[in-house]
Amino acid sequence: MQYANLFLAGLFQAAILFLVACGLQLIFGVQKVVNLACGSFYALGAFFAITAVGLLHQWQMPMIFLVPALVLSGVLVGTVGAPLELLLRPVYRRDPSYQLLLTFGLLLMFQDVFRFFWGAAPRSMDSSLYGIYGTIDISGLQIPVYNFLVIGASILIAMILGLSLKRTRIGRIVRATAENRNMTEALGVNSSKVFTMVFTLGCILGTVGGALVIPTSAASMTMAAELVVEAFAVVVIGGLGSMAGAAVGAIIVGLMRAFAVSLAPEVEILSIYLVVVVVLLIRPVGLFGRSAS
Amino acid sequence: MLNVSELTVDIQGSRILRGISLEVRAGELVCLLGRNGAGKTTTFRSLMGYLRPVSGRISWEDKDLARLSTWQIAQLGIGFSPEESEVYADLTVEENIELPTWTRTCGRPAAERISEAYRIFPKLERYRKRGGAELSGGERKMVSIARALALDAELLLLDEPFEGLSPAIIPLVAEGVAAIRQSGKAIVMAESNLHHVPDYIDKLVVIERGEIIYTGSLSGALGDVEVMKIIAGAVDAEPQT
Ligand SMILES: Nc1ncnc2c1ncn2[C@@H]1O[C@H](COP(=O)(O)OP(=O)(O)O)[C@@H](O)[C@H]1O
Ligand SMILES: [Mg+2]
Repeated sequence: MQYANLFLAGLFQAAILFLVACGLQLIFGVQKVVNLACGSFYALGAFFAITAVGLLHQWQMPMIFLVPALVLSGVLVGTVGAPLELLLRPVYRRDPSYQLLLTFGLLLMFQDVFRFFWGAAPRSMDSSLYGIYGTIDISGLQIPVYNFLVIGASILIAMILGLSLKRTRIGRIVRATAENRNMTEALGVNSSKVFTMVFTLGCILGTVGGALVIPTSAASMTMAAELVVEAFAVVVIGGLGSMAGAAVGAIIVGLMRAFAVSLAPEVEILSIYLVVVVVLLIRPVGLFGRSAS
Repeated sequence: MLNVSELTVDIQGSRILRGISLEVRAGELVCLLGRNGAGKTTTFRSLMGYLRPVSGRISWEDKDLARLSTWQIAQLGIGFSPEESEVYADLTVEENIELPTWTRTCGRPAAERISEAYRIFPKLERYRKRGGAELSGGERKMVSIARALALDAELLLLDEPFEGLSPAIIPLVAEGVAAIRQSGKAIVMAESNLHHVPDYIDKLVVIERGEIIYTGSLSGALGDVEVMKIIAGAVDAEPQT
């Protein structure tokens, strides 16, 4: 059952992609900034996780804590989003091209940060850790339990995020700010604080995504740019600003990628962008996007 | 309570307000009357901190509002219902009205503020669970005013509360405004149509081309030929009956 294997691999990719795309959507939805640096947060999460797992080893912690440790390290390093949000403040009310330039600048700066702290060569952690939670036999194939944990964690995060936005006070304030920042200010909301919070949360989603991918693949200098390409495909397919769109887009791109890598590796990116083109032709706002009115 | 003196405001290099002075005392209902484009919305947007004045002072009790951000001004107890209502489409009526009780927690308990808002606009009670996008213009206007009220503001700025509403709904909004005033809150209401100015206002302020040309009673304005020339123009713009 090769296809079952590919399907699960695709879902794993989708789970990771969803986290990063979710951060992108959240930041775009509220701040109206397309964060090109989302890939850098993903890579930052990955590099930092390798250091964190090293510490786990050093402190001789049981490796059963791998997933919580990865998530925690992602959350910790994602808080760099808070000071970085200050950099974006001058461009919120300016032309989107300034925002793109600035976040692209961040992307480039992060490359040097990675080189400085972790060196230019790809870094990976002890590959045995991938199997630490054992495997599940699915029609003769051994699938690491780790994959299921990540898929589960991603679904859980999606549900918590969705419910918080829908039902909590702060979630409603965030949605109000997304819809009409000026009005929200007139109702006593310090929207700068909301922006800092949302941007930090968006970054954390990216860094957690990067941290969770690290048992399965190396952290490298190219991963930021590669992820930006995929995350944008997700967002364009799903619709800019939509959480449901991020989920569906991530599943489409994740599955496409997994199948393409194995069946026709030379057209991997091409196949993803073919879907993008088709969606743009049929439904330019994306599957779940709202048309501008 | 609110004291505006010699307020001058530019938008994109052109002078929109030219030395406006205005005073609102506690519990007063002031009507800011002026034709379209006279500068009423600009006055409100300056009071709310969206626009920075070139010169002049805006003081609230003894604080200088011109230095504060919009959210800080709201926190001091100034509620704003903008011309376009600006009800959140993504939130229900209930959520729209409750939001300011989460953000401004000083003042009276939230439950009291919310029930007051529904008491003043009883029609909204039935729409509690309805989305902000599924309301008529009049309902949106009521939600917008109810929401400003739920901030537990001492002063409400209502920008053209009757503008664009159907004749059937205007009395409902007018009753709401009267009831808010009864409860002792101060109101500044912008209006472009003399017919909509309630006869129980405490003070009429007439604005024309960014300048205040009259401050006084409604009856005084009706007897002033120069003022009538300008505000009757607004009346003449309406279809003759
Ligand atoms: N954003 C803007 N850019 C340029 N001019 C503006 C802007 N907003 C308002 N104005 C001008 O300011 C003047 C006053 O507008 P406004 O305060 O909206 O009047 P009112 O509310 O009394 O109808 C008008 O001449 C209008 O054209
Ligand atoms: Mg106006």
